[in-house]
Amino acid sequence: MSFSDQEIEEFKAEAVELLDVAEKSLLALDLGSSFKQTYDAVFRSFHNLKGAAGMMEMHRLQAHTHELESVLMPFKDLDDMPKNYISYFLNGIDASRSILDGSEVEFNYQGYAEQPASPVGVVQMSEEQKLVPETASDEPLIIPQAEPVAPLGASKSALAEFVAESEEIIVRVSKNLHVLEKGAASRDVIDEIYRDIHSLKGTSFLFGFQQMGDIGHAMESAMEPVRDGTHSASRLLIDGLYKAIEALELDLECTKMEISNDQLKALAPTLIKVLGAAAKTLPPVSSEVKLEAKLEAKPVTDVKLVADAKLDHGLAENLVVAKVASLVAQVEVVPHEPEHHAAPTAASAPASPTAAAPSASGEAKDGDLGGSIRVPVALLDNLMTLMGEMVLVRNQVLQFSNNSEDLEFLNLSQRLNVVTTEIQGEMMKTRMQPIGNIMTKFHRVVRDLGQELKKNITFTLDGAETELDKSLLEAIKDPLTHIIRNSCDHGIETPEVRRKSGKSDGGKILVRSFHEGGQVVIEIADDGKGLNREALIAKAVERGMMTAAQASQLSEKEVFNLIFAPGFSTAQKITNVSGRGVGMDVVRTNIEKIGGTVDLTSQYGVGTTIRLKIPLTLAIVPALIVHSGESDGRFAIPQVKLVELVRVDQGTEQKIERLQGSPVFRLRGEILPLVDLNTVLGLKGVPLEEKGIFNIAVLNADNYYFGLIVDEIQDTADIVVKPLSRLLKSLHVYSGATILGDGSVALILDVLGLAKVAQIRNESTQSGASAAMSSIGQSASAAQSDRQDFLLVRVGSVTKHALVLGYVNRLEEFRQTQIDVTGNHRVVRYRDAILPIVSANQQLGLPLKSYQPDDMVSVVVVERGGHLYGIEVDEILDTLSTAANLDRSLNQRSCIVGNIATENELIVAVDPFEMISVAFGQNVQQKSLNDNLLAAHQGQSTGRSAVKEILLVEDTAFFRRIVKEVLEKAGYKVTAAVDGLEAAEILQKGGQEFSLILTDIEMPRMNGFELAKAVRGNSKYKSTPILALSSRFDQKYTTEAASVGIDHYLEKMKPEILLEAVSSLIQKRSAA
Amino acid sequence: MNKTRQLTTFYIGEDLYGIDVSWVQEVTGNLPIIPVPLSPPFVRGLINLRGQIATAIGLRQLFGLKSEMKHSSEIHGEMSVVCKFDGNLVSLLVDSIGDVMEVSEDSFEASPKTVPTSVRRFLAGVYKTDAELLSLVEISRVSAEISNVGSSLESKAV
Repeated sequence: MSFSDQEIEEFKAEAVELLDVAEKSLLALDLGSSFKQTYDAVFRSFHNLKGAAGMMEMHRLQAHTHELESVLMPFKDLDDMPKNYISYFLNGIDASRSILDGSEVEFNYQGYAEQPASPVGVVQMSEEQKLVPETASDEPLIIPQAEPVAPLGASKSALAEFVAESEEIIVRVSKNLHVLEKGAASRDVIDEIYRDIHSLKGTSFLFGFQQMGDIGHAMESAMEPVRDGTHSASRLLIDGLYKAIEALELDLECTKMEISNDQLKALAPTLIKVLGAAAKTLPPVSSEVKLEAKLEAKPVTDVKLVADAKLDHGLAENLVVAKVASLVAQVEVVPHEPEHHAAPTAASAPASPTAAAPSASGEAKDGDLGGSIRVPVALLDNLMTLMGEMVLVRNQVLQFSNNSEDLEFLNLSQRLNVVTTEIQGEMMKTRMQPIGNIMTKFHRVVRDLGQELKKNITFTLDGAETELDKSLLEAIKDPLTHIIRNSCDHGIETPEVRRKSGKSDGGKILVRSFHEGGQVVIEIADDGKGLNREALIAKAVERGMMTAAQASQLSEKEVFNLIFAPGFSTAQKITNVSGRGVGMDVVRTNIEKIGGTVDLTSQYGVGTTIRLKIPLTLAIVPALIVHSGESDGRFAIPQVKLVELVRVDQGTEQKIERLQGSPVFRLRGEILPLVDLNTVLGLKGVPLEEKGIFNIAVLNADNYYFGLIVDEIQDTADIVVKPLSRLLKSLHVYSGATILGDGSVALILDVLGLAKVAQIRNESTQSGASAAMSSIGQSASAAQSDRQDFLLVRVGSVTKHALVLGYVNRLEEFRQTQIDVTGNHRVVRYRDAILPIVSANQQLGLPLKSYQPDDMVSVVVVERGGHLYGIEVDEILDTLSTAANLDRSLNQRSCIVGNIATENELIVAVDPFEMISVAFGQNVQQKSLNDNLLAAHQGQSTGRSAVKEILLVEDTAFFRRIVKEVLEKAGYKVTAAVDGLEAAEILQKGGQEFSLILTDIEMPRMNGFELAKAVRGNSKYKSTPILALSSRFDQKYTTEAASVGIDHYLEKMKPEILLEAVSSLIQKRSAA
Repeated sequence: MNKTRQLTTFYIGEDLYGIDVSWVQEVTGNLPIIPVPLSPPFVRGLINLRGQIATAIGLRQLFGLKSEMKHSSEIHGEMSVVCKFDGNLVSLLVDSIGDVMEVSEDSFEASPKTVPTSVRRFLAGVYKTDAELLSLVEISRVSAEISNVGSSLESKAV
């Protein structure tokens, strides 16, 4: 017999379900579930699979499952199963799956370790023997089920599906039985009855409905001779089948209503016997019988196997009818049962069997569990596409209606809008599936890995019911598997290690999924060893991905992100589980491909949490429609990537600046790298410099922000993503295309790709300026320009303190005994000179550290005015590179510059120079004077009519920002330049009247001295005061400064002093 | 018996070309084309084909033919021969559409070596019909060229 594709598909689906049940049960057994229940479920699964495989003539699978069944059999009486057998059967299940997929599988049936107490020889069955499934399949039926088997892993929805499917089957069987009764049944009808009964039996067992399965099995057996064509159906048989079907139907009703069905339980054995008897008495097929008989008629002995009931069938039949009737009566008196359920069944049951069909089909629709039907995925996909089209047409209609004044039309289009939106929502739901569908298999993954790696891992799943688009669900399956495997292998430690670090032996992996802000979040947390920052950095440096200096500047997050780099693995040795370094980068790529993000947090020694954010669906995305270039080309930017929109009017203070030729914009004090869409795409448009007004779309690419300059921002719209051909995909700047409301096509921008392409272009124009950086990715290089480095130290406070790293000359440690006291000061002999020591604690008013005689004293050596000074701190901690703003609101205390708020903590920034000044009595007097001046100055500046403009030249973004802020607060207008050259250019262009030039000395391209010379060389600026601000403060510098025309030279320090100098210079000039 | 096949024919400049009808989904004219910045010159843009998006390939550009030739297409606009290959909808832009012609395999021979390679590499050969010479465009070669360009772009960008 050959089978249709559909039949084979159905079989495969059923087989997969059976294997899943077996697997789940074995895992449950492994976790200590009751042996009895799980054993039965596993056995039934194998057994049913064997039977089904036999029917489908899949001999290899049949033989395989038979072997598994034979090995499993003896455990029944043992009430326990050793772990190695669980593994053996799990492997067996895997092999079954492979066989099912059509692979050749070699399976060692002796592969399990020792035999259980009562050894069973593995029977080598011949093909012929295996073809008769009944030889073994009676077995489970004669086992009396002592306790009802709880539906295994059957969720309410799955149960509802089972009921609905069974009802369908019952309707079909009733209909076909009717045909059979009339004697008009063709071969196909008989086959269909047989198949239906068979699948009913299978699913019943699957869901643990023992007596339904048993009845189904009896029906199947009774039908067997008819199906084989050896016998024709008798009146008795058909009646029996009808009765059985009715019983099943009633049973289903009971299941639906969740009422106990004890009556049916009692009925089942009788029914089975009746059916057996009926099969026994079937008339053999003679040549006149119109049923197409098979040529090789099977011997009647086959039938005898089944029919061993000894009951008088006439009597039994009456009994059945009576019992069914009494059962119906029972159903009728169940109080909470709505009448419409009971009435039709009651009418149909005793008298006319054929009436069962309509009643069942009628009831199925308004049953408590609701109906469900199976629909091919392709149909849903089609509907989805059409839905997309409909949304577009709706948009077109709406757009058109905006220009219409016809009220009725407006009304209609509004209604169309509402209905379409609703349909869209409902349509989306059809594709949604609970995440649990893919998650449950991770129990198995974790268990297997745990055994393999000799680790004790528990896996907990939270939020399995969270729903996600089916295609997305498929897409995250592999990345999730990968993450979980990684957690098992790298994350969770062995019990010995865990014990040593004071953890419980067993590791935990917790997967949580939930909805958040229109996205699905999946968190995979383990309580393993966490990521080791140092190990990661060492590895990155070793692999040449960056220099040690670069690595030291990375934030914690950036360090952790290294594990997503291709080829990166910190595993000490490569295991067959993971460690080859392919993996996390694939995880990220795959997640990003579907528009999701991956985030990782970890605490060394405590654990790691990976957070995936997945969009709910792919098909329709909200997007921003922008226009750029001379043609009417429009582009869509997915909203998920959009952070904000900024409109910049060049006429005002805001402007686009150039940083080494690349355009940047200061957004709330942070540098935002800019990408001009026209430039990247090679579109014709107005050059940046000539544009008056900019539209900047701030986009998030891979946790790093950049601004995309577009000509026009048009609209937001829900767009249907259409795939692009591979050719256009390979351009890397488009992720798809869409059709807009007016029917025109817009390209969807690939934000990540765009950033990359823009980066590549920049690099090629700047001859590898940042080639070294490219390997760490764009984020580092983009943020670099805005970073400031600090040295973190511990002083007598819980809060970490920081010094600007640039100030630090050296770090030293001295023995306590090395420190001498001269006069009031502590000093150390250091390189043939005297190094005065200032205690940071003393200057900051913090408790001093108490030393043991042998303790080392940590000293930060700074240079000031050509002399070295030592700042004594409790401990030197680390360096910190941060883009975080310096908050100056809390800097009232002496020697403190302000606070830096990093991701994790608040750090106090201190001024070492002020410490030295205060400690050695210099400038102290000046400071108090300055305070008074500042107050006076502030009052003065606000009362002033014309705003003074200052040109600030400073290469360090950090200082540029601080100084600018200070000056602006004092009422000055500030124009900033990144180096002398830019300053000179600004001055050259003219148009601005500067009252003062405030410049740094050490700068790339053109330093402060050169700038001063150039300024003094220009007649227009001859008398403009120049104030130099530098951290280099010694004789040589001040002399040179004076010689090139710098009016005043200041050390980078307190703003009050700066303001005082600025104010006095400006006044001096206006007076002159 | 002569084996025959049916070809959809079209003109680029003065030359008549044909592709096997089985490739052709439909023929349309004058649809707006949205250009795709950065794409190779022969990708003329994207077309909205009743809700499906088709990539418009300028055969003239693909074949490396000069576009200065005066032809009716400049008055009437180009025509689209819509094909589906590699799972993508592709609209081949041509100057004008000819008839669907039944040609006999007897009249087929290889394109002469004098035909520029830039064109010849896409041609299977030429049918000598009574009225004109009809060059057979091998769609598989067009498709291969498109995906080759795609891969080279890909490797360049990475």
